[in-house]
Amino acid sequence: MSTLALAAASSPTVHLTSQTRILAAVLALLFMLLILELIRRDRLQERYSVIWFVAGLGMLAGAAFPGLLELVADVMGVRDTNVALFSIVLLLLLGLALNFSVIMSRQAAQITRLAQERAIERARAQAPPDHNGNGAPAADASERSSS
Amino acid sequence: MRTLVFIPAWNEAASVAAVIADVRETMPAADVLVVDDGSTDETAAVAHEAGAVVAPLPFNQGLGAALQTGYLYALREGYDFCAHLDADGQHPPAEVVRLLAEVEADRADLVIGSRYHAGAAETSSDDYQPTLSRRIGTSVFRFFLTLATRQRFTDTTSGMRAANRRVMSLFSENYSPDFAEIESLQLAVREGLRVEEVPVRMLERAGGSSFLTPLRSAFFIFKGVVVLLVGQFRPRHAGAER
Repeated sequence: MSTLALAAASSPTVHLTSQTRILAAVLALLFMLLILELIRRDRLQERYSVIWFVAGLGMLAGAAFPGLLELVADVMGVRDTNVALFSIVLLLLLGLALNFSVIMSRQAAQITRLAQERAIERARAQAPPDHNGNGAPAADASERSSS
Repeated sequence: MRTLVFIPAWNEAASVAAVIADVRETMPAADVLVVDDGSTDETAAVAHEAGAVVAPLPFNQGLGAALQTGYLYALREGYDFCAHLDADGQHPPAEVVRLLAEVEADRADLVIGSRYHAGAAETSSDDYQPTLSRRIGTSVFRFFLTLATRQRFTDTTSGMRAANRRVMSLFSENYSPDFAEIESLQLAVREGLRVEEVPVRMLERAGGSSFLTPLRSAFFIFKGVVVLLVGQFRPRHAGAER
């Protein structure tokens, strides 16, 4: 770590070491294999896997073409490429977390509606005790009975 | 003319039967529906025994979802008017009749029973006495809701309301699951419905206790203000999904 700090002090920019790059590439590949395996075993749905593949490919691209990351670091005004990398990953994770909240909200609304539909079905099954006497209100469901 | 009176109930086995009996006696022509919000006690059985139709939600979904279930049922089953009141005995059914009279006469689409309205009837010892945190919350909501709707509301969290079919179709598609009372008022006014308050008497609860502790009240108030703020920027005629 001390050599890294020294390097940062002496040279204007800090590049990714090839050791880091190889590690990142291997991790990215393993990660994408894991995603494939999860889909294969029906533990993950395809529509929720796209975003993870994009993340994995991004990781791979960063490892394969370090110039890309340095360009981003330059645009961000960061001297240390590692810092740029961390920032990007952090933003990506934030985006993913938000994405999950949106999906969760939608599913919560769907679950609520499902529960309501079931409650209404159950209520319909009990014939209204004293009214109209037609006994089968489900037949004219959603139709306004003429009054 | 068919009228549905629905009662959202969550673990209210102690009081719900008396409320149902009271509603049936006061409004013999109306159908009574109890929306059982995933109670773990005998609420559903007690309500059924008392002669109400019971719509059982399979798990607790919160007051907003329970109320929406009532509106949805009223809409689907073709009721002309509906009203709802609390299951804890705070709302005298005789007052609900007065709310219904307003919508039946087509003077309003949605009528709120207000315990704070200037014209509220004279109080007696068993009448509703709000706690301090309740008072603070009430005035905060009153201020912001008045600001948002440009209409004066005194009792923004009242759970005693009457509505016609226009309101049923709006609320059965758009109803906030956790901020039922306040957001629904804002929504109704934004959608151009006629919302009116009628002074009513409310009693102290017959059984159970209020869920509001001071800390919860503060959080409740904070959340309510945020919800109102966001509601101002919500698109009109939002779709089925909220």
